[in-house]
Amino acid sequence: MTLLIQDEYPKKLLREDGLRLDGRGLTDLRPIKMEVDVIKNADGSAYIEWGNNKIFASVYGPREVHPHHLAKPDRGILRVFYRMATYSVFERKRPAPGRREKEISLVISECLEPVLFLELYPGTSFEIFIEVIDADGGTRCASTTVAALALADAGIPMRSLVSSCAVGKVDGQLITDLSGIEDKAGDSDMPVAMTWFNDEISLLQFDGKMNQEEMDKSLDMAKDALENVYQMQLEALKKKYIQIQEGI
Amino acid sequence: MENNEELEEDQEQNDEFEDEETLREIVAPGEVLTEDINNFIPGRGAILNKKRDKIISVIIGLKQIKKNYINVIPLRGFYTPQIGDKVVGIVVDKNPVKYKCDINTKYSGILKIKNTIKRNPTDRMRGNSRESEIPEKLFIGDAIVGKIIAADRLNSPEITLVGKYLGRKTGGIIIQIDSQKVPRIIGRNGSMIKMLKNLTNCNIFVAQNGRIWVKGIDIKHERLLIEGIYKIENEAHTTGLTDRMEVFIKEEIERRGIE
Repeated sequence: MTLLIQDEYPKKLLREDGLRLDGRGLTDLRPIKMEVDVIKNADGSAYIEWGNNKIFASVYGPREVHPHHLAKPDRGILRVFYRMATYSVFERKRPAPGRREKEISLVISECLEPVLFLELYPGTSFEIFIEVIDADGGTRCASTTVAALALADAGIPMRSLVSSCAVGKVDGQLITDLSGIEDKAGDSDMPVAMTWFNDEISLLQFDGKMNQEEMDKSLDMAKDALENVYQMQLEALKKKYIQIQEGI
Repeated sequence: MENNEELEEDQEQNDEFEDEETLREIVAPGEVLTEDINNFIPGRGAILNKKRDKIISVIIGLKQIKKNYINVIPLRGFYTPQIGDKVVGIVVDKNPVKYKCDINTKYSGILKIKNTIKRNPTDRMRGNSRESEIPEKLFIGDAIVGKIIAADRLNSPEITLVGKYLGRKTGGIIIQIDSQKVPRIIGRNGSMIKMLKNLTNCNIFVAQNGRIWVKGIDIKHERLLIEGIYKIENEAHTTGLTDRMEVFIKEEIERRGIE
């Protein structure tokens, strides 16, 4: 006999004082910590702690494409491997890459491609390996952010960094940076990624219901949050070098 | 050792890191270098944005203003082979017509047998090959110093062993650093490499692909030198590095009690 345990979510996702369940305001981000150059053998690497999410990203390339038939004669390719550890979620995740992982890998690769000069490296590939060690909502946003950081750390020419963050609707209120429980039990969820080369939106997915007005407002909210994330990315990228400069 | 003297000559006044025009400001990809596009032109590591009203950086590096060019000196990056570069390679594969060498690039370097030996065309006749003309056999795992004679974006670079100071290397240690920091290891007019060589009594060959061949009297000297090289790589973006390294090496020699 199979045992079914239904997920139980609280009926209200906003507290009586108007704050969220984890004590954040409606537009507050979770605490974010970023670090670069954490994996010695990679060409570039980065680590992020976004709330309870813990994610590593490592970049290799440009290098030869294997299998060889994937190589493009006129431009390089960007391949992203997004994987979740078996222990990263509450119930054991099967280690084989599933539908969701393949989708997120594709989405991240298409989001990062416009900032790279792939046409300068024909016949080669850049590879990004993203390992989610701990997951609590918004891993695709955190993964995009940390992948861009790892690419920049590897010294690969880029038009700009890419920052990403989710916005959504919970109990009729628009909120920024959804946690795991708000993601599952909330009304809607919209991950947004921006490139800063020309302030363009590079990733936009949507799930749930929202009207036109709310959509416009949540995009503005996302932009405000992303500017903060971008500043943190720049700080993390330069910190390694500034520390050495100051230590002398 | 004469090996690096030629390299030093090539690299004369090529230490961008020590340049007075290089600012100590670190810039990240996408950061605005200047909005004054009438007086400045984007140089190395910089592009115009889509609206053509700003110059932005494309890599992480140090900002440099040279005349009316804005450049970014990279702090990280990969090696792109260029014709004339000297490289340290390791033979990874061989067949009757060519050797394949790992030279720290996306494609492995091709070393054809005809490029392993210098031949005088007038002397060459069938069945008349001289003792000196028999090519030296290379084995998988051998370390070589070669020069790039052909390189482009699509094909494997071709290397040669014919030339001054080129050929198979025996003994010593090969270390790998970021290829973008090679000018810093050599220093302005070869000042850094000369200082390292004199103080540690080691032979050094710095190749453009970021590989350094080191051979000293004993392992103590080699260890000190390798530590010094990694320190230079780590602190490449700081000022007054040559003087600081000299103090560091002298102190370490005293502390470790090596001659």
